[in-house]
Amino acid sequence: MTPLHAQQIEELLEAVFTEREQGRDDPGGVVAHAGNHAGDASTANLGELEEAGLVKLAGGRVELTVDGERRARDVVRRHRLTERFFRDLLLLSEDATESQACELEHILSPEATDSVCTLLGHPPTCPHGKAIPPGPCCGALQKTVRPLITGLKTFDLGTPARIVFIAPRFHDRMDRLAALGVIPGSEIRLHQRSPSFVIEVGETTIALDPEIAGEIYVKRIEA
Amino acid sequence: MTPPAPATRHALRTEPLDKRVVAATRSVILVGNPNVGKSVVFGALTGTYVTVSNYPGTTVEVTRGTATLAGQPWHVMDTPGTNNLTPMSEDEQVTRDILMKERDYVCVQVCDAKNLRRGLLLTAQLAEAGVPFALALNMADEAASRGFHIDVAQLTQALGVDVVPTVAIERKGLAQLTSGLGAARRSGFTPRYDDAIEAALAEVEPLLPAKGGLSRRAVALMALVGDDSLREHLAANIAEVDLARLEDARRRLAARYPESLRFVVSKQRLAAVDRLHDAVVTRSRVSAASTFARRLGAWSTDRFLGLPVLAFVLFVSYEFVGVFGAKTAVDFLENAVFYDRLVPWTEAFLRWAVPWKGAQEFLVGPAGVPFREHAGFIVGRYGLFSMGLSYGVAIVLPIVTTFFIAFSILEDSGYLPRLAVMVNRTFKSMGLNGKAVLPMVLGLGCDTMATMTARIMETRKERVIVTLLLALGVPCSAQMAVILAMVAGLSLAATAWFAGSVVATLILVGWLAAKVLPGRGSDFILELPPLRVPQAGNVAVKTLARIEWYLREALPLFILGTLILYALDRVHGIGLLERAAAPVVVGLLQLPKEAAVAFILGFLRRDYAAAGLFLHYQPFMKAGTMTREMQIEVVVALTTITLFIPCIANFFMVLKERGWKTGVAIAAFILPFSLAVGATVNALMRWLY
Repeated sequence: MTPLHAQQIEELLEAVFTEREQGRDDPGGVVAHAGNHAGDASTANLGELEEAGLVKLAGGRVELTVDGERRARDVVRRHRLTERFFRDLLLLSEDATESQACELEHILSPEATDSVCTLLGHPPTCPHGKAIPPGPCCGALQKTVRPLITGLKTFDLGTPARIVFIAPRFHDRMDRLAALGVIPGSEIRLHQRSPSFVIEVGETTIALDPEIAGEIYVKRIEA
Repeated sequence: MTPPAPATRHALRTEPLDKRVVAATRSVILVGNPNVGKSVVFGALTGTYVTVSNYPGTTVEVTRGTATLAGQPWHVMDTPGTNNLTPMSEDEQVTRDILMKERDYVCVQVCDAKNLRRGLLLTAQLAEAGVPFALALNMADEAASRGFHIDVAQLTQALGVDVVPTVAIERKGLAQLTSGLGAARRSGFTPRYDDAIEAALAEVEPLLPAKGGLSRRAVALMALVGDDSLREHLAANIAEVDLARLEDARRRLAARYPESLRFVVSKQRLAAVDRLHDAVVTRSRVSAASTFARRLGAWSTDRFLGLPVLAFVLFVSYEFVGVFGAKTAVDFLENAVFYDRLVPWTEAFLRWAVPWKGAQEFLVGPAGVPFREHAGFIVGRYGLFSMGLSYGVAIVLPIVTTFFIAFSILEDSGYLPRLAVMVNRTFKSMGLNGKAVLPMVLGLGCDTMATMTARIMETRKERVIVTLLLALGVPCSAQMAVILAMVAGLSLAATAWFAGSVVATLILVGWLAAKVLPGRGSDFILELPPLRVPQAGNVAVKTLARIEWYLREALPLFILGTLILYALDRVHGIGLLERAAAPVVVGLLQLPKEAAVAFILGFLRRDYAAAGLFLHYQPFMKAGTMTREMQIEVVVALTTITLFIPCIANFFMVLKERGWKTGVAIAAFILPFSLAVGATVNALMRWLY
C-alpha cells in the first residue's frame, strides 16, 4: 500500500466531517462517501490517518482529533466557499460548480480563501444549505478586500442592488419570498432598517424581520 | 392583510346590477394576487344577491354571486388572494382547490398593472393549468401615473388571451373585459423548465387522473414539488403503485438541486416571466402625485416620524370613536331614543296588549314604579328590552359602528400593515409578530370579533397567544368608554399606574406564554400595499357587513347575558354571589363592597363592571374630592376589571374558535391572575404612590 498523499488525506478528513453532519460515524461509510481524489481508499487508510494523529478509531467508529478537526474544517470551508462563488457569482451549473469545488478545495491558499469569503460577504451556508465553517476573516473587519456581496442587513439604504443568493434557516421562507418576487436575480432596494426592515422589489414593498433580511445577500448594481 | 371573514360577508351592495335570480350554467372565477382590487371587480360585476360561505373544512370564506355578462347569466365566484397555485397558506389552498374541483368555468385574473411581474407569475400558472381566462390589468391609472407603459397588444399576443386595462373602482374597462368572457381561451404562455424537470413531468403526467379543472401538467408540477395539500386528492384518485412511482420520481428530481424543488420551479418560472415582462413594460418618469403617497408611506414606518403619524391617527380615531361615537351618539340613543321614548312606549304597548295584571307585572313590573327599581321581564332592571336591547343597541352599537368605520378606513388606506411594521419588535417579544396588530386593534372595538380574526395568525401557538391577550387585557370599545370616563377623574400619576399595569401585564403574559406554549412563531414577511385614499363605497360595504355580523352574532349573546342576569336576580342569586365575592374584593383588593357587584355583572356585560364603579365614584369626581385612598381604589378596580374574564360573548367565541379545552384553560388562568395582579398593584400603590 502506497502512503497517502495530501489530497487523499483531505478527502478522507472531509468525508469524516460531512458524515458526522449527517449523524454517521461508521468508517465504511466514510470511505464510501469520500470524494474522487481519495482514489480507491479503504478503511485501512483510516488507520494511517490515525497514526498521523488526525482521527481516532474505536469501537467501529471514527472520530476527528483536534488536529484532524482543524484540517477537515479548512477543506470543507474551501469547498463550500468555492461552491458559493461558482454557483451564485459566476452562475455555473451544478455539475461544473461541483467539479471545480472538488479541485479548488485542495489548492486554495488561506489568504485566497479568506478573500473569497470576504468577497462573498462571509456567507453562512453553501448553496446546499450546509454551514460553512467560519474562518479568521469572519467577524473581523476586513478592509483590504471590499466585499462584492453583502448581507442586506449592512447594505446601504436606497441603493439599487441585485439579490445574489438567499441562505435561509428555514426552507419555507425561501418559497414565501419567491412568491413575492424576492429571488436571486431580482432587483431590490433597502428602504429602512428600523423598526423593521422594509425592502422594495419592483413596485412591491415588503416588511421583513431583521433575521430574514440578514439571510438575503446582494450585490450593488453599478450605474 | 386581508380583512377577517365578516368583511367579505353578505349582500350589501350599493348598486343593483341585476336583480333576477338566474340559473346560470357557466361560472367565472376571479383570481389574483392580494391587494389588486379583486373584490372591487367582483362587486362591480355581481348583483344584489351575494352569498358567503366557508369553504368546506376551512375557515376561509368564499363569496359567490350572479351576473349578466354580455347578455348571458353567469355564476361569479371570488377567491382569496393568492400568489401561487402551489399553496403556501390555507387561503391559497382554497383558491387552488376551487380551480381544481369546479367544472366548466373561465377565470378572470385581476392583476395590479404596476406590479405586472407578480401578476404574470400567476398568469403563467393559469396557463400551465390550462384554464381559459382573461387578464385584467387593474389600477391602470395608477400604473400610468407612475410612468409604466404596458404594451397591451404585444402582451395579448404573447399570452394568447384577452388582456384588458381596467380601473375597477371607476368601472373602466369592465365591459370590454366581460364581453369576451364567453370565448375566453387557454394561454400558450407555459414556461419550459430545465431538462430534468421536463423529463420528470413527462414521466409523472400519465400517472395522474384526467379529470379535474386543472391540466395534468399543472397537477404533475404540484405533485413534483411536494405539495402536501395535494396528497389527499392524489391518494383518492390514483393507484398505490403509481403513487409510489410518483414519489420516487420526486425524490430523484429533488436530489439534483440544492434548493427545494418548489423554489427551483418558481425561479425558472420567474425567469420566463421576467423575459416577457421586460419585453412589454417600459417605464418613464414618475409623477409628483404618487411620490407624496410614497413619502407619507415611508414616514408612517419610520422609526421617528412613524410616532407622530401614529399619534395623529390615534387622536383622530379617538375623537371619532371615543368622543363622537361613545359620548355624543350614545347619549342621544340611550337617553333621547331609548329611555325617553322606546322604553316607555314598549311599556305602554305591553300594558295595552296584555291586560291581565299578573302577566303585566311579570313583563313590565308594577305601574308607576321606575323600571330600574323593579324586576320586569321585558322592561325592568334586568329586562330584555330595557337592559339587553338598549345596552346592545344604544350603548355598544354606536361605539362599534364608529369604530368599524374608523377601522375600515385604516384598513383600506393601507395604514394597518405599516402599523405592523412599527410594532413588530414589541410583538416579537410576545411570541407574535407585527401581523397580530390587526386582531389587537380590532379588539379595541370588539374583542369577540377580534378573537375570530386571530385566524390570520399562521401558527396555532400565535392564535392561542392572541386569543389570550385579547381576553386578558384589551379593553373593547364599550369598556373603553367607561374607562376613559373614570380616568378623567384620576390624577395623571394614577392614570399612568393604570395604563402601565395593564400594558406591563400584557407584555409579561405574552412573553411567558411564548416561553411556555409549544411550537414556533411565524416569520414576519408582510407586503405593504401602497397608501391610498379609501373608497367611501367600500368602507360603507365593509362597515355594514361588520355591523350586520355584530347584530347577528353578538347581540343575541347580550340578550342571553341579560336573561341569565334576570334569572339570577329573580332567585336572589346576585346577592349570593356578591356575598361570596366580597371576601376577595374587600379583603384581597381592599375595595368597597359595591365593587363586588360590578365584578359579577362584568362577566355578563363587560362594561357594566366599570360602569358600576363609575356610579360609585362619580359624585366625588364631580366634586373634586377624590382622596388618595379613592384614587388607589379606582386604579386597582380598573386594572382588575380590565384584566378580568372577558364578557360572555367573547368567552363563547373563545370556546368556539380555540376549542373548549383551551377556552376553559384561558378562563381558569385569567380569573385568579387578574385578582393577583389587582392585589399586587394595590400593595405597590399603597407603598409607592
